[in-house]
Amino acid sequence: MRKTFVALTALTLVGSAAMFVAGPRLVGAQGGGTVEVDVKYNGAPVVEKLKVNKDVEKCGSEATIEKVVVGSNKGLANAVASAPNAKGSTTAKKAVVDQHGCKFVPHVTVMTPGELELKNSDDILHNIHTYSTANPAINKAQPKFKKTMTEKFEKPEMIKLTCDVHSWMLGWVAVVPGVAAVTDANGAAKLENVPAGKQKIEVWHETLGKQEKDVDVKAGQTTKVTFEMKGK
Amino acid sequence: MPGIRAAAVLLLLAVAAPAWAQDANAGKAVYERKCLLCHGEKGDGKGPSAELLLPKPRDFTRGLYKIRSTANKTPTDQDLFRIITEGMPGTSMPAWAVLPEKDRHNLVAYLKSFAPEVFKEAPKKLELPKEVSSSEASIKRGKEMFEAIECHKCHGTEGRGDGPSRPELKDEWGHPVAPANLTKRWTFRGGRARTEIATRLANGVLGTPMPAFLEAVEKPEDIWHLTNYIVSLGPDSPQPATLVTVSAVNEVIPDDPGADFWKKIAQSNILLEGQVIVDPRNFNPAIDLVSVRAVYNDKEIAFHLTWDDPAESKGDGKATFPDAIALQFAPQQPTGTERPYFLMGDATDGVYLLRWEQGTGVTEVSAHGPTKLAPIQGGEAAGKAVFKNGQYALVMKRPLVATGAERPTFRTGVFTPVAFQAWDGGAGETGPKMSLTSWYYLRLEEPQSNRKFVIPPVVALLTFAVLGMIVRAARSRAIQ
Repeated sequence: MRKTFVALTALTLVGSAAMFVAGPRLVGAQGGGTVEVDVKYNGAPVVEKLKVNKDVEKCGSEATIEKVVVGSNKGLANAVASAPNAKGSTTAKKAVVDQHGCKFVPHVTVMTPGELELKNSDDILHNIHTYSTANPAINKAQPKFKKTMTEKFEKPEMIKLTCDVHSWMLGWVAVVPGVAAVTDANGAAKLENVPAGKQKIEVWHETLGKQEKDVDVKAGQTTKVTFEMKGK
Repeated sequence: MPGIRAAAVLLLLAVAAPAWAQDANAGKAVYERKCLLCHGEKGDGKGPSAELLLPKPRDFTRGLYKIRSTANKTPTDQDLFRIITEGMPGTSMPAWAVLPEKDRHNLVAYLKSFAPEVFKEAPKKLELPKEVSSSEASIKRGKEMFEAIECHKCHGTEGRGDGPSRPELKDEWGHPVAPANLTKRWTFRGGRARTEIATRLANGVLGTPMPAFLEAVEKPEDIWHLTNYIVSLGPDSPQPATLVTVSAVNEVIPDDPGADFWKKIAQSNILLEGQVIVDPRNFNPAIDLVSVRAVYNDKEIAFHLTWDDPAESKGDGKATFPDAIALQFAPQQPTGTERPYFLMGDATDGVYLLRWEQGTGVTEVSAHGPTKLAPIQGGEAAGKAVFKNGQYALVMKRPLVATGAERPTFRTGVFTPVAFQAWDGGAGETGPKMSLTSWYYLRLEEPQSNRKFVIPPVVALLTFAVLGMIVRAARSRAIQ
């Protein structure tokens, strides 16, 4: 245990020194690689529909709750692909969730621990109700005149977002310490600047659960990995 | 040395101990006697009687408490102590002020032990904005804010808990949860005082859809304007009546429940309870209060009833049923104290019902028990109902004098037994599943005759005349 610690410390020191010498611009090219994650699902999409009885001019007359979205080639959308241990390579951009058309946009947001901006571009009342356990659970009203709010999520967690005013609204915030991305309509996600070496790659989906695989990441190269999610 | 250390520790303990020492083990013993039946052995809210209750008993293992005076999710000991002591209005949680104070403090300690993680975080006091006392201007601003922040989405336009989001609301455990009826302040879970209301607005009701509004109003003091507006929506208490007076009027009685005529008539509030005597029982009655105005003229008697119901229901016949209400009378004015059984009579002694049902209208019904109803042929009752913003208003009329053995004739000056029954069909109430009262009395006041203006002056005049005669007689005798 102590040996590993010493080794790690030494490695970090050497690494920092190398970074200092080489300059930060080269890290992307030399220290990290790209992982292209493909998430497949062999099942049928799950989409629930609900008749809307209020705010129809903003929400539309029918709400769709997209629980499992399957695109072309059985690609699974809205899954979170991440390299949770690839710390230090955070995206600087602040994560934003918009409440638009009585939906959380995007449906799944990834962020590194820190601040999340919550926008209300609907001009009607929404309430941000999180089902978080590691982070403080919040239930805050966001009336039409409150266009943005900022909330802090410091601990890694998959947080469910709901709105009690519009019960069909469902969103997720993935607070991931490492590199993370959400799969697109084709089930593809690209993890960039993942440090070279053996990395744990995780895929999480709101109803299909979690899977993980170890991947050898080579600096400056693209590694492909495919996940096959199973229905429950 | 050890002695000194022990003494130091003791001293520290004495200083650090709260004003009341809490003993979780002693609390456990009280819990097992008084709380377990609803809240469960493990404190998970799954006691043997939990399934009968709505709202459901609190699950202490999550450490989520609705009523807090704090800005974070940890309630103070005093918050928990208060709910134990005062109970939760509008729920099955009674006030446990009967327990010794020490027991209640020990209970607090035991409850906290169900969710030690939550209580690791110290309670953070909620700072309310500077208080604004109630005024016309403040209430007006509160109403503006009420509309701007869309309280009506859940609580309804006039605050009766009938907003469009009402049917979808669930608590953190997935149980359906009803938004508060803001016109019935005495049912507020965390109390009806202004500070309580402002606190609920500011930090929300944890575990329910009610969000925190402290950062969601335009200016912090809007919390108080909203509070003042909410307080203006209804009385502090239901002010229940014991007797229904039927006023005598000379004019024609309007059918329209919205007519100005009815506003001049004093109303009596009647409290209803769930029917729990015969199956199916109604442990969570939807209708708890009916306001009655009653008048009669030389031909008719009329009842004006208002009651809150979150939605008009005609019923699908499976899960929902038509909304309904009934006034119950003895078929003939009882001569002694004997009255039919209050739960719609029995096989030998029936009752007469003046009944309104959504879709059917007003009918006269004879009942011999809650499932044995028969319409009375040649019914002469009529009426009109209006539903608006979570409230029914209904007028039911009938001739004062009736024929046949099944229908009562109303007479002035006598105490006439009356009982009330109501069904919220939208909440699945039908048949014996209802809200009801036992027998009350109503009394038709004497007609406004001219006699009270004539007789007293005549008596006074006669008295003076007699006095005058006595004085004159005495004087003439004195002169002689």
